Amino acid sequence: MAGFVEKLLGLDRRWIFLLVLLSVATPIVFPIGLPVTTSGPTRSAFEYIEALTPGDVVWISFDYGPSSAPENDPMAEAVMRQCFLKKVRVVVTALYPLGALGIANNVLAKLNAEFPGLRYGEDYVNLGYKDGAAAVMRRLGEDISGAFPTDANGRPIGELPLMRDVPDIRHVKVIVTVATGTIGEWWITQVRAQIGTPVIIGPTAVSAPKYYAYLNAGQLVGILGGMKGAAEYEKLLASRHPELAGFYRTTHTFTATKGMDGQTVIHTVILVFILVGNLAYMKSRMKRRGA
Amino acid sequence: MRTGALGHVLARRMLPAAPLIASLLLAIPPRASARAPETAVPPGPELPAPTEFAAKDRPGDTGNAILVTWKIPPALPPDARIQIRRAEPPAYDWKDIATVEPGAQRYVDSSAKDKEVYRYEIRLVSASTPDTMGIAGASGPPLVSDPVASHDNWFRLERTNSLIANILFICLILGSISAARSGKKIFIRRIAGLNAIDEAIGRATEIGKKVLYVPGIQSMDDIQTIASVAILSHVAGATARYGADLDVPNRDPLTFAAAREVVRAAYLSEGRPDLFREEMVNYITYDQFAYTAAVAARMVRERPAAIFLVGYFFAESLILAETGQSTGAIQIAGQADPTQLPFFVATCDYTLIGEELYAASAYLTREPVLLGSMRGQDIAKGIIMLLGFLGIVAASIGIPWSAEIFKTR
Amino acid sequence: MNLEFGRVALVVLFALIPIAGIVMGLQASALRTRIPILIGVFAGVIPILSLYIPKQFLSGQTGMSPRLDQWLIIVYAFALLLGVVNVLQNSLRRIRRREKGWPFSAVLLTGLFVTGGLGVYGAVSRQGIGYRPDGSATPFQWITDHFFQPLQSTIFALLAFFMASAAFRAFRARNTEASILLLAGGLVMAGRVPLLEFLAAPFPPLQPAAAGASQALGKLTEWIMDTPNGAAQSGIIIGAALGAASMAIRVILGIERGYLGVGKGE
Repeated sequence: MAGFVEKLLGLDRRWIFLLVLLSVATPIVFPIGLPVTTSGPTRSAFEYIEALTPGDVVWISFDYGPSSAPENDPMAEAVMRQCFLKKVRVVVTALYPLGALGIANNVLAKLNAEFPGLRYGEDYVNLGYKDGAAAVMRRLGEDISGAFPTDANGRPIGELPLMRDVPDIRHVKVIVTVATGTIGEWWITQVRAQIGTPVIIGPTAVSAPKYYAYLNAGQLVGILGGMKGAAEYEKLLASRHPELAGFYRTTHTFTATKGMDGQTVIHTVILVFILVGNLAYMKSRMKRRGA
Repeated sequence: MRTGALGHVLARRMLPAAPLIASLLLAIPPRASARAPETAVPPGPELPAPTEFAAKDRPGDTGNAILVTWKIPPALPPDARIQIRRAEPPAYDWKDIATVEPGAQRYVDSSAKDKEVYRYEIRLVSASTPDTMGIAGASGPPLVSDPVASHDNWFRLERTNSLIANILFICLILGSISAARSGKKIFIRRIAGLNAIDEAIGRATEIGKKVLYVPGIQSMDDIQTIASVAILSHVAGATARYGADLDVPNRDPLTFAAAREVVRAAYLSEGRPDLFREEMVNYITYDQFAYTAAVAARMVRERPAAIFLVGYFFAESLILAETGQSTGAIQIAGQADPTQLPFFVATCDYTLIGEELYAASAYLTREPVLLGSMRGQDIAKGIIMLLGFLGIVAASIGIPWSAEIFKTR
Repeated sequence: MNLEFGRVALVVLFALIPIAGIVMGLQASALRTRIPILIGVFAGVIPILSLYIPKQFLSGQTGMSPRLDQWLIIVYAFALLLGVVNVLQNSLRRIRRREKGWPFSAVLLTGLFVTGGLGVYGAVSRQGIGYRPDGSATPFQWITDHFFQPLQSTIFALLAFFMASAAFRAFRARNTEASILLLAGGLVMAGRVPLLEFLAAPFPPLQPAAAGASQALGKLTEWIMDTPNGAAQSGIIIGAALGAASMAIRVILGIERGYLGVGKGE
């Protein structure tokens, strides 16, 4: 028994890696379809956008790169689906330097296929990437055309009907930053705190705990924390909009709800690791004390 | 020719007076002037007029913006909008500039140019409400503003609270520094992570392996990186003294340039320039994960005895720290941002948490000036805690302005 | 010639004074260390002033503060060049001396020249480095799509493996504080996912109870994240912000010099 405990405590990391691989890969191949429960920060984000009226403008900023796309993509897609369904207009930007614009283009292409009636320049615009995120945000408080003179295709934004109604960021109902790293936090400190436009954040799960401090301080409307937050949003969307319920049930593309199966299994496995590790640790401590 | 030249001279002489003339012209009521702007004749007030309408230079800005404000009358149709028009020089024709929601009660015209005199007109419009003729598309009576010109300002009034707080904070720091200079003894608590620096480098020297110092992945405009480079200076001094090998891989080019100078200077000041090699401080790549892969590979291949992960880290923190841990190196980490701290605490031997990172220079050098600034910072923290407590009390007993005075715009 | 105040002031502060300092520093060595500190003071004070003074010469689009931001980008570009030269030097040295792991350096240089070359080709041929108008990818974009993005995702995905191994090894109930942390961490991990439903899936009679317990666990998780976690995060954020502000003041006033390698403080 003692030998087993020692062995367990000194377990080769590669066994753990193998178990993690199997735990994540199996539910992707064989989906389980586990239920998702919703939390307050996601509900408040959802209800805020749900309460907008047709013609209102939502600013969606792609502030993440390909590395965290599986976690962040479903958030951006879900919020945009909600906006387009409610005829809320969308302004898209990308402030993360490595690959954010490519991701924004891909998501827009996907949404265009889902909502064939969308008109560029009227229902949505893509302002593209701009370097120097914090300086860009400060500039948005003065005038958007100063920060983004043209859209992603080089067209002057004065030619886009949607942008004529949004001279500065104050005219936007809410900013949704789907973020990794610090750019999401800058939307709060540079825009929410100094200009006043409400902000919803969709951070990666690892960054989410930090944003509860801002949520409690009333500087955030809501948080979509990691893949769980995205799955909750998808559930809320499906329950409120029957046309999307069908979509989320039948789509073959990756959704956060599907990803939650893998996340549930891996959480269970890690909890078992922690439990086993602690049992072995206590056993060895008792043995040391006995000696 | 002569007339043309005279005209040119006259025009040039008249130019400075142009805004004044324009303002005089515009001050005359529209219908009474031949040059007055043409306001469309309203068919009748089917919609009410907004009240308290004003157009003025937006206060506290860098110019080129006019702030238009109004109050809305009650019971407006849901699709009511405020149509904003502007008369501008030299023709002074009215031009539509925006149609906005009435509830906004303000509009910033950021297309205005400084020193040019404008007038603004607003009116309520509603596409669904019938006018007096029964045709949909009613509009309310227009309101015309006084002449207005924008200019840049000397002070952002809305940031007065922040200015006062900053001045107080600077005074506290400078006062504490001055107290420290006059010989006042300042206590600084033990920081285990900083005490362990010499131990870690000593161990590397004993077993003949290198010390790996990773200064985070941010640039020198981040204060955590500056703190990290200051700690690097001490680490490099210690490796120079002990004769241990040092390796500083960089992701950011500016941090790379600063780190190289700091390490070179540390070896010089320890009297061991012979031990300094240019390749000790090296550049890898600008990409976050390529950098992570390269540093992790270096840890596995070269098995450094001591690893410092001090600076601003993101998702790479756990990959680096866990790889370092697997090599058996003694690890010291430091980060002020809370996001990655749990990973460092779980995988490193010592972690500088939050402001401990910024206290490192003071702690390591025991310079009275630096210690004094630490004391000032602690007093400021005490004041903030007190204000926080008072804020809780004020909010609980229902004083609405208590939170407002701390808001910064 | 444009002699607006902000422009002239920048030239004086960041060109004439440093040049004069360097010239005088040839005689007085103390000046040589003071000039970089002085430049740091100017570069630090200007953005702070622009926070409160919105005059055009200081904070306008072409004012001193935004212009300093632009200068930073220019300095950055030169520093990046320095970095690339350093990569070339180190890699070529490793290959020349056949140091351990030299083939990796060869792969690195190949990647650098091929990708960089395609980027330059895209700029010279005017087809750019993104997608062509017909939607097809330029060679540079193709490399981004098929090498860069998957590699980024791969390295990021390693986190899952390292998290599991770190949790197994380090998450131990060593003392009271660690035990509280362990309990809170375990509850949050369980409450963030439908773990109880997953465990009850093979036992249908238990499923309603599992769903109810999962709801309660979710609420507990929310409370942990919202209240103790939110409070702790606020504390660390405020403390670290004060530390950063204090450090910034020390740097701007020239008290903190460790980052310059010119002394430990004055």
